[in-house]
Amino acid sequence: MAIAEATPSVVAGAPLEPPARTWLRRLGIIVPAALIALVVLACFLGPLVLPIPEPTGGNILEAYLPAFSPGHILGTDPNGNDILSRILYGGRNSLIVAVGVTVVGQTIGGTFGALSAYFGGAADTLIMRVFDVFIAFPALVLIIAVAQSLGPSVTTAILALSFFGIPAVARVSRAATLSLREQPFMTAAKLCGTPWWRVLLRHIAPNIAPQLITFAMLGMGLIIVLEGALSFLGLGIPPPAPSWGNMIAEGQASLSATPMLVIWPSLALFITVLSFNLLGESLRSLWSAR
Amino acid sequence: MTAVAERQGYRGAWTQALRSPVSRLVVKRLLLAIPIMLGVTILSFWVVSLIPGNAAQALLGPEATPDQIHTMELQLGLDKPAYERYLDWLGHAVRGDLGTSPVSGQPVTPQLIDGLAVTSELLGLALIGALVLAVPVALGAAHRPGGLFDRLSIFVSMIGLSVANYVLALVLVLVFSVKLAMLPAIGFVPLSESVSGNLKSLILPAIAIGFPLFSIYTRFLRGDLVDQQQSQDYVVTAQAKGVDPWRVLVRHTLRNSSFGLIAVVGLNLGVLIGVTVIIEQIFALPGLGRLLLQAVSARDMVVIQACVVVFAVVTVLGNLAADLLQTVLDPRIRYGDR
Repeated sequence: MAIAEATPSVVAGAPLEPPARTWLRRLGIIVPAALIALVVLACFLGPLVLPIPEPTGGNILEAYLPAFSPGHILGTDPNGNDILSRILYGGRNSLIVAVGVTVVGQTIGGTFGALSAYFGGAADTLIMRVFDVFIAFPALVLIIAVAQSLGPSVTTAILALSFFGIPAVARVSRAATLSLREQPFMTAAKLCGTPWWRVLLRHIAPNIAPQLITFAMLGMGLIIVLEGALSFLGLGIPPPAPSWGNMIAEGQASLSATPMLVIWPSLALFITVLSFNLLGESLRSLWSAR
Repeated sequence: MTAVAERQGYRGAWTQALRSPVSRLVVKRLLLAIPIMLGVTILSFWVVSLIPGNAAQALLGPEATPDQIHTMELQLGLDKPAYERYLDWLGHAVRGDLGTSPVSGQPVTPQLIDGLAVTSELLGLALIGALVLAVPVALGAAHRPGGLFDRLSIFVSMIGLSVANYVLALVLVLVFSVKLAMLPAIGFVPLSESVSGNLKSLILPAIAIGFPLFSIYTRFLRGDLVDQQQSQDYVVTAQAKGVDPWRVLVRHTLRNSSFGLIAVVGLNLGVLIGVTVIIEQIFALPGLGRLLLQAVSARDMVVIQACVVVFAVVTVLGNLAADLLQTVLDPRIRYGDR
């Protein structure tokens, strides 16, 4: 695959990219991807492999330990819980919610968007008007209402954030499909009598995948931030279970005395979101350069 | 001939104005916004009805007997079917009466207007600040893509995109209120009391909202400017004529790119309003967001409903305004060449 892509540019005599550029481009994908892998591994495998205490049920006598205390690398919170452990377990929740919302949003939103563009006409108008209403609706308000009505939990957070994700993905998928509609291969597929679901799966899906994947990466970052906001307001992952958002909210109470309680989870949040954004950006420039 | 001209004159400027392509589009868009607004109010009615526990129970407390709750429900009109309550509410709402809060016993509309004043001042500061900074930065970056300033702007805006606004808010409080003790961490001073105090109380929350916005706008505008500079014939023409590169960028390319930017600003409003909820909470500002959160915890359905509708209507109107601005600014539409 790599050879097949590299050769034509040599044959055609097109100016090769300077090696520094190519390396920079590769680094733009490798570095954030490695960071994401690191975060995922740390959150899901770290607590199993490393000697880390439980995230809850800490000893109150060990509260407010500073960083680099024996047994607690990042110190402890007001309840004597290990901060590193809470960050890792909290990261699990954030990542599960982010992946859940992305999967739900991409499958439902992606399908509706593509169908809407493919069939056009009244169905298109109806679907997009309904999504317009959802987009006009203040996202956080909707999320608060859903979270309130179902009670805070991981599933609720996924459901609530999907309300926001589905219409956004649908727009992207619709726009991408619209640009394909007039392509000759689509006409060919139709003339062959290919059923619509096959056109959708075999012809449209592979072609809009780059846009959707890019959007998914950028969306992951956004969802992690929103999940944090939800937990921050006490509507996401219910305490004492940890999440980055509720750790930041708990730390806010003693911001002036122990700012590190806010800074550690904020750093984890920032690095994760930044990695997803960088990866999305790099993928976009890679795919749009073709 | 003269008779026709006279008749046209007689018809007056109104008809003429209504016939122009711009006003036709404006009217069309306005009409399109109505079903969306109705949809939004229905959706908000449904969403609010999802919230568990009803107002009667919330008012009477946990010790109320079923009989008492039933009487209260009758008083509040909760026994009527949902569509009847919705129509009833809609009838009052279009006349500016959003009901009376059963929790505080106060009419909702004045409370809402007070909150809206704070929220719109905050949002206005953040939006204007972000735009005023983003346009020159994007121009500077697009002047030499790949240059030092361009890379710097990409770096800064990537940070702005990745930092959660509530994290940014807390960092700002930590630096400017706790460490430097320059600005107040919480509280709000009304504009009528003191102008400088008012600005001081809003500057940190406005930065917390505005910096991510600045990043979004800068990234978008820079990308669009560079795209146009590299692909559009009118740029090549201008350059070939020997027009100063800055002039090409500002007078030619920016004009075209501003359409996309206006659309981005409009589309972002819905997200932005959600952001204010959390920022107002952190800085204890008496805006709509805090009103909403308080109402949510008190199960004050009337206030929740009113807040949600105002948020939604502002979003729809913002989108509409962006849409119309684009239409009016586009000379192809203005001169009817479509």
